[in-house]
Amino acid sequence: MKKKVLTFDNKEDFLKEFKKIMESGVPPQNVNVKLPNPDHELDHELEKYFKPSKLKFFTLGGGLTGCISGFALTIGTVLAWPLITSGKPLISIPPFIVIAFELTILFGALASLTGFFLLGRFPKISKIIEPEEFGNEFVIEIEGEGA
Amino acid sequence: MKKHDSATSASLHELPPKAFRERVEVEILESMRKPRPIYYIGLAITVTMLIIGAVAWAIQIRRGMGMAGINNPVGWGAYITDFVFWVGIAHSGTLISAILYLFRSRFRSRFNRSAEAMTVFAVLTAGLFPLIHLGRVWFFYWLFPYPTQRYLWVNFRSPLVWDVFAVSTYLTVSVIFFYVGLIPDLAIMRRIKKGIPQKLYSIFSLGWTGSFREWKHYNQIYKYLAALATPLVLSVHSVVSWDFAMGIIPGWHTTIFAPYFVAGAIFSGMAMVFTLTIPMRKMFRWENVITVDHYEKAAKLLLFTAMIVTYAYVVEFGLAMYSHNVFEKEQFIFRAIGDYKFTYWLMIFCNAVLPWTLFIKKLRRNLWYLWVLSFFVNIGMWLERFNIVVISLAHDFDPYAFGHYVPSATEIAITVGSFGWFLTWFLLFVKTLPAIAITEVKEEAE
Repeated sequence: MKKKVLTFDNKEDFLKEFKKIMESGVPPQNVNVKLPNPDHELDHELEKYFKPSKLKFFTLGGGLTGCISGFALTIGTVLAWPLITSGKPLISIPPFIVIAFELTILFGALASLTGFFLLGRFPKISKIIEPEEFGNEFVIEIEGEGA
Repeated sequence: MKKHDSATSASLHELPPKAFRERVEVEILESMRKPRPIYYIGLAITVTMLIIGAVAWAIQIRRGMGMAGINNPVGWGAYITDFVFWVGIAHSGTLISAILYLFRSRFRSRFNRSAEAMTVFAVLTAGLFPLIHLGRVWFFYWLFPYPTQRYLWVNFRSPLVWDVFAVSTYLTVSVIFFYVGLIPDLAIMRRIKKGIPQKLYSIFSLGWTGSFREWKHYNQIYKYLAALATPLVLSVHSVVSWDFAMGIIPGWHTTIFAPYFVAGAIFSGMAMVFTLTIPMRKMFRWENVITVDHYEKAAKLLLFTAMIVTYAYVVEFGLAMYSHNVFEKEQFIFRAIGDYKFTYWLMIFCNAVLPWTLFIKKLRRNLWYLWVLSFFVNIGMWLERFNIVVISLAHDFDPYAFGHYVPSATEIAITVGSFGWFLTWFLLFVKTLPAIAITEVKEEAE
């Protein structure tokens, strides 16, 4: 398959060329862009052409699961063996909020990591065996139609 | 890895973007060159400290808790002080990584990696102390929430159970945050290193290529982890403070404890960042990467938290005096003029007097001064926890039950050992992973 690789030393030239390629009608799935570092400014530009990440749904799902699990664990266990301590009500919401809060964060973080692995397709075994250069340049790779 | 020569050591920001990125790599990775003798001397000292602590703990396990100086009524002593101190040290890592990230503060990129590593190692250290304090450490798993043989669960209304949830969540989230932030830098190391280290960096970089498809997920997870870690860090030290504030002991039972502890934690953590990074900057010739301006900004943060801590000291005293509660008043008078007046006034000097000198710009920009000051703050913050834990227990309600506590040799040795444990991990980290986030500094190229 035909492949074209363009490299740029700076962001400005890269962005100009990238926009030109995309506006010429090259399908986005044929274009791969490599960046040497994260760049918030560039993100906004590139997101116009690529689909945004769906990782937020993993974070939200994990957080909600954690919160529900926290209350289920605390309320479920005190009801399973109703033992009054310190004259407090069996279902004491304020202390149970602490447990639910911590589990919201814990499950949210673990689900985010899972989402990162699944969506980013990590670990990439073939790239671990034969690594691709992660250098200091901006790269545009076009494969197939438009190359 | 060739260090640039002095003739080309112009300011980094004068370089064109690609040259800037290349130079940043070389400058930062100076820390990972073959260690010099001073590194081995440092490592030998920290490992010796660690061995002293380990031997003392082994003796305590063998002979029992009588080796510790804790008594009746002072049942919590140096170990709980150490626990709170180390959890506090951990907090600056999350502050710098997460909170300053959400505020888009640029200077964080110089400190965040060291601070994140510091967080992980400090939580690991803190986590040891409840185990050491338990005595019968082999029953450590009793801390975890699971039913006994009679199907009775742990008491979720106990702050000590909240602590288990808070600290273990904090450790997990800190490790995830630290690792995710490292992935692009590990890919850089994979390019630079050769042989077995290269293979290891390659495995841990997960096959990172730097494509936008990867960066977009990376940016999202980083943002969400920062958003999760920010309330987490506030909750962790609040929960630690409630270990005390939920009790009715005078000096503990107060509503200001959560914000007071959180501010103190960030204050002590910032000081530890200075203690560790100022010598690193000198040793690895990072003058071009971490400038005095970066330290001045961090010093302002230290000053800000010092002001909150000072305010908390005043409010705490004021609350006791205005409460007309005889036990509260007696407790605070005892702190100032009683058996522990030396540790109390030393704490005031270290935390509430000395840091205010940072209002002077010249001192904020003097790295020697900041380094020495950071030691005073570390000492002051350890003493703050000692004063809260010990003095309240030694002087509670009934004069017949008053007591006195001095840490035993075993407790002192284990405390020294904890510093050895923490610093050994940190020294190993400096030589195995990039101690400044390379890709984040590269972002400043243009």
